[in-house]
Amino acid sequence: MKLTDKAAIPAQVMARQVGKETVILDLVSGTYFGLDPVGARIWQLLAEGRTLAEVCAAMLAEYEVTREDIERDVLILVEELRAKQLISVA
Amino acid sequence: MSGFNFESPRLQAPFNALPFHEWVFPDGTLWTQFFRTSAGYLLRFPDLADFLVSPDGLSATCSPAPEVTDATAHHLYLNQVLPLMLSRQGKLVFHASAVEIGDGAVAFAAASGSGKSTLAASFAISGFRLLTDDGLVLQGSGPGYQALPGHPSIRLWEDSEEALIPAEVEASPALAFTSKSRFLAGRDIGFCDRPRPLRRVYFLGDGGAPEIAFQRMSAAEALIQWVKHSFLLDIEEKPLLASHFDEVARLANQTICYHLDYPRRFEDLARVRQVITGHAGEKVETA
Repeated sequence: MKLTDKAAIPAQVMARQVGKETVILDLVSGTYFGLDPVGARIWQLLAEGRTLAEVCAAMLAEYEVTREDIERDVLILVEELRAKQLISVA
Repeated sequence: MSGFNFESPRLQAPFNALPFHEWVFPDGTLWTQFFRTSAGYLLRFPDLADFLVSPDGLSATCSPAPEVTDATAHHLYLNQVLPLMLSRQGKLVFHASAVEIGDGAVAFAAASGSGKSTLAASFAISGFRLLTDDGLVLQGSGPGYQALPGHPSIRLWEDSEEALIPAEVEASPALAFTSKSRFLAGRDIGFCDRPRPLRRVYFLGDGGAPEIAFQRMSAAEALIQWVKHSFLLDIEEKPLLASHFDEVARLANQTICYHLDYPRRFEDLARVRQVITGHAGEKVETA
């Protein structure tokens, strides 16, 4: 996976905010994933079609975090979502 | 409204398509196949019955397999097919029982075999009226939800029957495919035939807790549990699924959902009822 990659979200995967969390659900497989507000913001940026590098840049501008930390966190989250087949990455 | 008709018994002919969905028991036994047909949906219960459901979920026609009794077919309709039809009509239907406590409804959501009917029966024979044994239908009402009454009966395995049900309670005819018995509401099992505002929902644990234990669920946890316990006829109808997800998300934002576990011992049920009654009567905490 490269920072120039973008995530694609399958049509049957949807996200809804409930309380302070966001739940992502694959409506066909029933696979689900919970996100805290930071994860939800990353999801939102991914859903806008940004590259992983653009997602990291936006997060750097919005949160007090180092580039190294945010790149690691974004890559970990994207890998988890990909492993659950909630996104594809290319 | 949901219409239901019987046709003459007939052999289940092979269907010339793959099912788009199946229900399989944990031991691998196939329970239900879901096929798409030009006339709607075919729900096949192998060796028991076929149900042809209209595309809008408003009507169903049952063709029992030879030797299958009307009682068995009707039982399948009430417990399996009707909740799915209601889901196709856009209603919120869940694997949950419900009883009337005070002026509201308290629901117990759980997978089959987890004790939701036993718990509801325990309340029902103790002066709390039954709203439904399973297939709980919820309807939005102002900021909250109402629990609608279901069929005035309750189904129990033999051990729960022996522990809870007075001998004089009327039972429906025995069925070939299950040792569960259905007991009709009446003098001993009170039935609430009016919608009641939903006050509490308890998602039941597996009985591993050494003592009665409640845990407030976050909205996200509640959403996931509501989705897992939903009846859904067409899991490929994406607009309907999205609408269902929206509705369930709204439901999950109600601060009324708890995880509940307790040891599954019949002799403890009176204490469990007492604790639930007290808990359900408490003011709802806000998040």
